[in-house]
Amino acid sequence: MSALPLQKAVGSVRSAESARILGTLVLTVAVIGWAGADLFRQDLALLGATYALLALGMYMPFNLAGALSLAYSAYVAIGGYSVGLVATKTGWPLPVAYLLGALASAALAVVLGFATRRLSGFYLAAVTLLFGMAFQSFLLDAKDVTGGAVGIGSIRPLTFFGSELDRQTFIALTLLIVWIVGVAVDRVRRSPFGVALQSSRDVPAAVEAAGVGVPALRLTVLGAGAAIASLGGGLFTTANQTIGPDTFTLHLVMLAIFMPLLGGQGSAWGAVLGAVLVVELTFNLQIFERSGSLIFGVAVLAVLLIAPGGIIGYAGQGARWLRGAATRTRGARR
Amino acid sequence: MSAQLWVSVVQIGCFFGLVALGYYLVLEGADFFNFALGPFAMFSGLTASWLMAKQGWPLGLAAVLGIAIAAVLAVVTEVALVRPIDARTGGGELPSLIAVVAVLFAVEQLAGTLFGRQLMPGRSWLPGTSLDLGFVTVDGQTIVLVAATIVSFTGVWLWMRKSKYGRILRAVGSNREAARTLGMPVGRVRLVAFALAGLVVGLAGQLFSAKAGVSFQSGFGWALSGFLALVIGGTGSVWAPLAGGLLLALAQTLVPYYLGSASLDYAVLAVAILFFALRPSGLFVRRVRV
Repeated sequence: MSALPLQKAVGSVRSAESARILGTLVLTVAVIGWAGADLFRQDLALLGATYALLALGMYMPFNLAGALSLAYSAYVAIGGYSVGLVATKTGWPLPVAYLLGALASAALAVVLGFATRRLSGFYLAAVTLLFGMAFQSFLLDAKDVTGGAVGIGSIRPLTFFGSELDRQTFIALTLLIVWIVGVAVDRVRRSPFGVALQSSRDVPAAVEAAGVGVPALRLTVLGAGAAIASLGGGLFTTANQTIGPDTFTLHLVMLAIFMPLLGGQGSAWGAVLGAVLVVELTFNLQIFERSGSLIFGVAVLAVLLIAPGGIIGYAGQGARWLRGAATRTRGARR
Repeated sequence: MSAQLWVSVVQIGCFFGLVALGYYLVLEGADFFNFALGPFAMFSGLTASWLMAKQGWPLGLAAVLGIAIAAVLAVVTEVALVRPIDARTGGGELPSLIAVVAVLFAVEQLAGTLFGRQLMPGRSWLPGTSLDLGFVTVDGQTIVLVAATIVSFTGVWLWMRKSKYGRILRAVGSNREAARTLGMPVGRVRLVAFALAGLVVGLAGQLFSAKAGVSFQSGFGWALSGFLALVIGGTGSVWAPLAGGLLLALAQTLVPYYLGSASLDYAVLAVAILFFALRPSGLFVRRVRV
């Protein structure tokens, strides 16, 4: 008797899940089509994809586990410099650089996370921010490795079975990677691991008592997030064929905190939506004196005050209300 | 190290100390770090510089308006943002942190949009004056800054000892719940603490940007420096932020002098990690005899 509604419920969850996956795939393909051969649009799409990967990287440690680490500009830069170094100093294929960059930034994130494991909130934010600053002066200072203020230029493009990928194809590939990572992160959010992660933010003691080590959990997602962010930096660098200390600044981290807030923290796609909005506001829409960033800042404040669920959360509420209204009318007619 | 460098240590130290004093006031009243204080100081300095350079306002009027705007920004932050968000989330640390970072960003961008995104050069308050101490020359602006720092710290110290709200602020700072239970106006004291912090950093921003210039992105670094100064000094007394500011300024001047400029950021990171690990409450801690 009771099995039937349960099955139905599971079925509907599954279909909602596949609807989400298919819907976002359609949107991704639409963005690929929109970018097309237009160079400016390609730049926007590439920037959006990089921001989205950065925001997705921060999503697990920050939005799910509640650890605000601000060292992400360093991780993105590591991904970029890894591509630069592999392309100019070795003959290895570029995907090796993505892997190396991801491993290096994950290792760094775990070390930094271990060093700051007792800190939380303001102190954690400050120390990780200082780390980001120190890393930036390292990039300027270690001229032999990073090329100093000039950075690394003339990076060769990605080759695929012997043929070079043109920029348009590469950006399409990047957008598809964003989609794959988005699906993966959103599934992690709904997995038992993700539930443990979210509980460790709200009631760490209970999660510890259930036999899950909270510090190890945090270090894991810090590492994974850093790896995702560094992938973003690597892809961006490959497409632009150059990387310097000014490519990924500390400022970027601030944008990255706000992306999921604006889009909606309830789902990993909120981070992606936020990234798209940031690119639209700060680069595409220039009403007056570069005021896009101001509009973005005000929008974040408004979201914090009025719509803590972000845009996706708000839209979801609206959809539920509509569905409820529809059911109510049907019920009344019957 | 030349004696002239010590003048700049004192000068930067006084500035960091003033920003840290702002942090200290908010920390006592509301138990969190208002990172937006750095941008408030920037906004105050930039407003005055812009009014003087582009609109031809006299210095006194522009400075008063700049400081007032910083205080208004601080009050608005508390009333319109921190308080509602606190009420909704039950006073968690992370939501307030996000809120003040959002304010930081918005104020920075507002300043950039209103006043332009280039560096505004400073204009000394006492351009003709300088003090020759024999071994070192102190310029007029440094004299003003040091004097204002001493006056501000003494004023806040007296205020916290003598005045009604100052004493309530100390009570709230040492035990919020007990203060609330005793019927003290905790919310109003919080607001006063925010406003006073806004005034102090507004003044600090004026005086420092008159010396070093100011751009819309200056506030970010100022916020971090003030925070570090407070972490080093601790919250044991009103004067602790000044001590922390002077020590931080000393480190920031000595390290590049002896080890090269790139080492500064490494040194700051190392100092921060050391302090967080070994003396999380700073050098000057209030000890209670039991």
